[in-house]
Amino acid sequence: MRISGLVGASALALIVSSGAFAQQASLDLVEPIAEYKIYVTEKVAKLVEDTTAFTAAVKAGEVDKAKALFAPTRVSYEAIEPIAELFSDLDVSIDSRADDYEKAEADPEFPGFHRIEYGLWEKNSTDGLAPVADKLLVDVKALEGRIASLTFPPEKVVGGAAVLMEEVAATKISGEEDRYSHTDLWDFRGNFDGARKIVELVRPLIAAKEADFLKTVDANFDTVDKTLSKYKDGDGYVTYDKLTEDDRKVLAASVNTLAEDLSTLRGKLGLD
Amino acid sequence: MSSPDPQRAGVPSSRLTTIALAGAAVLVLAGGGAFYLASQKAAKPVEAGSIAVRVGEKTCEPMDLTVPAGRSVFDIENASNRPIEWEILDGVMVIEERENIAPGFRSQLTARLKPGVYDITCGLLSNPRGKLTVTASAHSDAEKAKPPLKAFIGPLSEYKVYLALQSGQMVQATTALATAVDAGDLAAARTAYAAGRTAYRHVEAVSGRIADLENAIDPVAAYLAGREQDPAFTGFHRVEFGLWRQNATADLKPVVDKLASDTTVLRDRLKVMKFEPADLAGNAAREARRLAEGPVISGDSLYAGDDLTEFAAAVDGLEKPVSLLLPLVAEASPDMAKAVTDAFVATRGDIGKLAGATAVPPAYAAVSPEARKALATSFATLADAIDRINPALGLE
Repeated sequence: MRISGLVGASALALIVSSGAFAQQASLDLVEPIAEYKIYVTEKVAKLVEDTTAFTAAVKAGEVDKAKALFAPTRVSYEAIEPIAELFSDLDVSIDSRADDYEKAEADPEFPGFHRIEYGLWEKNSTDGLAPVADKLLVDVKALEGRIASLTFPPEKVVGGAAVLMEEVAATKISGEEDRYSHTDLWDFRGNFDGARKIVELVRPLIAAKEADFLKTVDANFDTVDKTLSKYKDGDGYVTYDKLTEDDRKVLAASVNTLAEDLSTLRGKLGLD
Repeated sequence: MSSPDPQRAGVPSSRLTTIALAGAAVLVLAGGGAFYLASQKAAKPVEAGSIAVRVGEKTCEPMDLTVPAGRSVFDIENASNRPIEWEILDGVMVIEERENIAPGFRSQLTARLKPGVYDITCGLLSNPRGKLTVTASAHSDAEKAKPPLKAFIGPLSEYKVYLALQSGQMVQATTALATAVDAGDLAAARTAYAAGRTAYRHVEAVSGRIADLENAIDPVAAYLAGREQDPAFTGFHRVEFGLWRQNATADLKPVVDKLASDTTVLRDRLKVMKFEPADLAGNAAREARRLAEGPVISGDSLYAGDDLTEFAAAVDGLEKPVSLLLPLVAEASPDMAKAVTDAFVATRGDIGKLAGATAVPPAYAAVSPEARKALATSFATLADAIDRINPALGLE
């Protein structure tokens, strides 16, 4: 992993973009970034634990159990998705969609959670999934090791909240991610929690100067929470097709605004 | 990052929704994606001097790009029949990306790049990647000798995480030590003591500078008027004295309880401590020199005799903050980065030679004054190498 390149690139950015009022990055970011790393470390530990149980169920041919574990296992992964750009290779092998492959679902290269999801829901079977499950577990363990030794570039962490909200707005809102199981609302829970965590950690740095900005961001996160809570079912959520058209519009509007607002967060912290 | 600005030359924006819908892969609720696209502000004109990249079914045109360091605008056209994302990658790390560019659409991406060779993605994951070469500029050269403050946020954060993890383990070990002493379990107490010492050595470059806690946690009898009988003889070495010299856990209860409490305070103090960029190498160099001048010559663990194990742990504790700076050092001076890395290898090797191949290294009492002096020189050389880092990064 070559961090230096990124650091250098953003360093240059500071010179290029520094106008009279450009915000300078502050060492006050050290604590939030450290806290965020600890947050991610805990999420990944949980992901490894849950994926171990999930893949064991797949390999034992326990279709119902595997189906029940699929969405809760993914929540930990979705919560760290703001920084998925830091491990793009593993993101592909863990979480890519059939569209990324030439032969879509029939492509032998189609891996990870969604390949298993396809088997469990579309075929109602675990046939042929054992090697996919083995590989998935290897990959999430590799992710844990990768995270442990990775220095988080602050601009990637802070920018990651907006990048993820953009992805939700641009693609996930259509229900494309969990297209076979329709467990998208679980993923959304993880995505919004993960993005909001970043805002919470940098809040003290901008609270005084950016009160209005934070108020708007909080209001949109609150709207998302309220909307999602209507669809709670036990520890999780009902399937995505139960979402009413009105609520989908509310979610879409909130996430669009969040994507746009959070895209200014890097600049506010001097990280552009 | 700014929002994508999808646009299509010559196509009225009213067709946006239709095209986006056609491009969406799954149509359970595909309106959401279209809503997003339609809600974006009007497309900007292509910026002058932007670099055109056309992504076809199998390749990018061109597959090989060269730009100067600094800000570049890429104008990406999706000429394939599937939605694509376009990424600039440094190894596995995405530097910048645009998601979900629908077929027939264009999107602009602004990136600020430092010199180097990057990959660009070209549609399907199975498609070959293109190459983006970024050449040096006056700005990029100046940055190498003096990285901006921002470049140190990541390394400092990572060091704080390390201190948090290690001091957490230290508290865990001293708590286990107290439990073992309560139970009168000498073997368990010795094991917990060793684990606590390893964690303590890992944070000592910083904790050694917190005088009040250092004097409670880590005083050595040689510096106390009444030596082992001195009431100020507390902390780890008092425990070591009991467990190894007296071979007993008796009388240790108040000592281990106080140690558990002091290490908890230390952990909390480390958590709120603020660091400057120069502290990373500065503290490590200072600690390496302190080890060379004191403990390596006279030995710290007079009763357990496990100094060689402790010195190895201390080297790990020195290497952590330095390793976090090495990517920056390598930019400024590859030779210096190599010299620092080599100095760590050398000191580890020198400890290893004295420790031998057995599972438990020999007691430090068996290490001759000459051998100690040679090891001290090794630590001093390491300190010198680390000392050269801050000037090279413009931190002095």
